[in-house]
Amino acid sequence: MKSLIIDQLKQKLGNRATDSQFESSLYSRDLAPVPNLLVNPLFNTAADLVVRPIDTAEVAEILKISWDNDIPVTPRAGASTVYFDSVPIKGGIVMDLNLLKGIVALDESGMMVTVKAGTTWSELEKYLNGKGFALRSFPSSAPVASIGGWFCMMGYGIGSIKYGSLLSQVKAIELVLPNGEVKQLTSDSDIPLDYLAGSEGTLGVVTQLQVHVRKLTSMKHYLLKVKEPDLSRVVNHIQGERMVPYNIHFSDQKYNAVMNKLGFVADEFTGSCTVAVDYEGSEDDLKAADAVISEMMSGDFEVELAEEKDANQEWKEKFLALRLKRGGPSQLGGEVWLPINNLNHYLDTIKEMDKKYTLGLVSYGHVATAEHAVVMTAFFADERKTIDYVLKLSMVKKIQDIGHRYGGKPYGIGLWNTPYIGYIFDNSQLAELRARKKELDPKGIMNPGKVYRPPLLLNSFNFKVAMNILAAVSRAVGRGNRRV
Amino acid sequence: MSEDKSLFTTLEEEALICGRCGSCRSDCPVYNVIGWESSAPRGKISKAKDIFSKGKQVEISDEFIERIAQCTLCGACSSVCSAGIDTRNLWLAIRKRIADEGRAPEAYKKLRDTLLQNRNISSFSNDDRLEWAEDLDDEPEGLELKAGAEVCYFVGCVSSFYPQAAQVPITIVEILMKADVDFTTMGGEEWCCGYPLLSAGFVDDRKPFIEHNVAKIKELDIHTLIASCATCYHFWKHDCSPELEGYDLEILHATEYLARLIEEGRIELNELDEVVTYHDPCDLGRNSGVYDAPRSIINSIPGVQFIEMGHSRADSLCCGGGGNLQSVDPDLAAKISDLRVKEIKETGASIIVSACQQCEQMLSAGVRNAGLPIRVMDISELILEAMD
Ligand SMILES: Cc1cc2nc3c(=O)[nH]c(=O)nc-3n(C[C@H](O)[C@H](O)[C@H](O)COP(=O)(O)OP(=O)(O)OC[C@H]3O[C@@H](n4cnc5c(N)ncnc54)[C@H](O)[C@@H]3O)c2cc1C
Repeated sequence: MKSLIIDQLKQKLGNRATDSQFESSLYSRDLAPVPNLLVNPLFNTAADLVVRPIDTAEVAEILKISWDNDIPVTPRAGASTVYFDSVPIKGGIVMDLNLLKGIVALDESGMMVTVKAGTTWSELEKYLNGKGFALRSFPSSAPVASIGGWFCMMGYGIGSIKYGSLLSQVKAIELVLPNGEVKQLTSDSDIPLDYLAGSEGTLGVVTQLQVHVRKLTSMKHYLLKVKEPDLSRVVNHIQGERMVPYNIHFSDQKYNAVMNKLGFVADEFTGSCTVAVDYEGSEDDLKAADAVISEMMSGDFEVELAEEKDANQEWKEKFLALRLKRGGPSQLGGEVWLPINNLNHYLDTIKEMDKKYTLGLVSYGHVATAEHAVVMTAFFADERKTIDYVLKLSMVKKIQDIGHRYGGKPYGIGLWNTPYIGYIFDNSQLAELRARKKELDPKGIMNPGKVYRPPLLLNSFNFKVAMNILAAVSRAVGRGNRRV
Repeated sequence: MSEDKSLFTTLEEEALICGRCGSCRSDCPVYNVIGWESSAPRGKISKAKDIFSKGKQVEISDEFIERIAQCTLCGACSSVCSAGIDTRNLWLAIRKRIADEGRAPEAYKKLRDTLLQNRNISSFSNDDRLEWAEDLDDEPEGLELKAGAEVCYFVGCVSSFYPQAAQVPITIVEILMKADVDFTTMGGEEWCCGYPLLSAGFVDDRKPFIEHNVAKIKELDIHTLIASCATCYHFWKHDCSPELEGYDLEILHATEYLARLIEEGRIELNELDEVVTYHDPCDLGRNSGVYDAPRSIINSIPGVQFIEMGHSRADSLCCGGGGNLQSVDPDLAAKISDLRVKEIKETGASIIVSACQQCEQMLSAGVRNAGLPIRVMDISELILEAMD
């Protein structure tokens, strides 16, 4: 029965559907560096069919057929996520949304753009800049990340500190429910649009969004060299000033040292942490920004201002985070949504962990809100050395545990962060989310296995035991041996 | 803080370094036409990793070979790669592996046979290299193999043998004559630069071509070489360094040399009432960093209104004509060109100028198919029109 339906869909969509193994194997992965030997025995990541719908009507038709026949559907756009968010784990259909592309309308007086969900953030920014407007915020994966994809994730990135989460900037969305029904959602609709923010493809497919934009303004960039003990204080001070920065990005001393060895960071930055601060606004705003920075330089902070060209270069390179991976060739790590006040405590404890396991941990991140930063702590590995690699995977949990100790939680859930669901939501939040899922997708066809609860083999208890055993082995055999 | 030099190590290592982030995808002309992951750079690298990077090499599938050939080597993926992978070099390394296994596409093998036999990419004898010169009003003295000339013009196979492109060398020569430049060409001693062999994976076969051309240049005591073909220029500039070591040769694209002549006042330009846009050839712009010379030429013509396309300079879209793509998948090449033609149309320009005969051929066909009233010209033709 299922294969008959798949065949029919394939016929119907012609060259926009495929079940070729060569092709669909690429839809079985995202950025997550998890070896096949750990994935394949547990999950069916092979799509029965990959489809590329061209418009809302086609999305609706495919969902209706899938709904009627209980076929799982996994939405996928940029696939720039790292927790198998857009990877099927129960086979079925992968819905590639990249053909839902383009600008529908720009309301210049209302400062609002209506855009199809598969458009990338860079494409939208380019379009807006040409019209004298700009994005309020965007992820640092903007060249690939889609508007819909970021909305269905957490939606914090560059610009969020000034303009808030993406959810706060979206006025309306078009949603195709799992049963194929098309709905227009606002904050006041029967199904409020905030249900979909962070839903990770589990409640339906977002096909179009109406997003607030800002006027295109000038920018000013600063790069600060900060002594490690002062990092939290400096970051806190800058974001707490009257002139709110557009973006604050920081790197710890270890990160700068590694990037220096890789040839990406100049010698002068190796002995300290760096904080990149970017402002946008009117001429007066930028003057005020300059005053904030000057004042800080004359205060009691252990900070030094780098040359303007370095600050500008840092901004120019904001999408090049993966250069770090050149020290790998593989890179593992944990991303933590962390209270800024605890940044130094977190980094200190990460250092202790590094002493114990000699992994060569490096940390960097950006400020997401007045209270929180998203911090990535990473280390190198080599996926060709399977046993060593699997042992090192256990270290990711250690990082999340340290984050949790300081009030942090994983950023994004997908599959691989479901064991930490208890860190991310309290019981009532979780109950609310599960109720929404039941309401909109009672058959559970949308992106099954993600977000709400860990699959049996990944449940918190099993996961903890397995990771602790691996960590103990890792320590015992001294697997650290930094490469760079 | 960083430099723009290639960080390429080995195919195996670079494929492992790729994090599959997909930043390369939106800018890839092939992905933008085909739309499947396997046509996107990250998809190809993911497959390459499975084949080459995990210990013993596994069998290369026909589908993979097809996808690797579906690439214009435009370099757009290299310039956006968030892991700093020189993907252009990576594609070349993969094509070499495929060729080494005797699995190169038939069209590549034919091209190689032709090159080894004729020393050029056409079916004509290399002695006919200067046939285009018969259309010159006056054939200049010293057009062929003049030792000690101030400049040697490297014409390139396409302009030498294909009538559609013959206007380019004719125009360049006319401009050089009018500007009183002491120049020559290598005539029948000019061999293909070697790029088509490199890009088809027959890397070692390009060697004798480079050695021959470099030896001739030295023999003629030439110290400035200009090329009107963006790819020949790129190849001379980047792939002949070992052979040229210790020899003083300035390698310029025709646009750089012509801009210099204009600046020195050796060329005078009259008013042209035209709206002009410019297409950056990938091998001249993104892959060689020459953006300003062609723009300064266009802007130095009085009366010309210059409009940039939506994508320009490092961000420019490919015309579809690179990387030997036409020989294996002409339909795909034409569809890529259509994407560029759309942008040309949006500018409202009456003339689209480029600086590479291959781009001009692709765009001419695209403009013709779209029925647009736009003239496609080589930048030298625009200069000559303004000189008349
Ligand atoms: C270098 C790098 C930098 C990054 N920086 C940031 C950052 O600054 N902030 C941040 O939050 N994340 C960041 N990320 C993670 C990721 O890129 C973002 O979350 C991104 O917005 C995801 O968009 P996507 O189009 O790639 O979505 P995908 O990965 O394709 O999908 C993400 C999830 O949303 C679902 N989905 C996608 N589109 C739709 C749709 N239209 N309707 C319904 N469900 C959908 C999928 O099923 C999946 O669960 C970064 C990643 C990388 C590699």
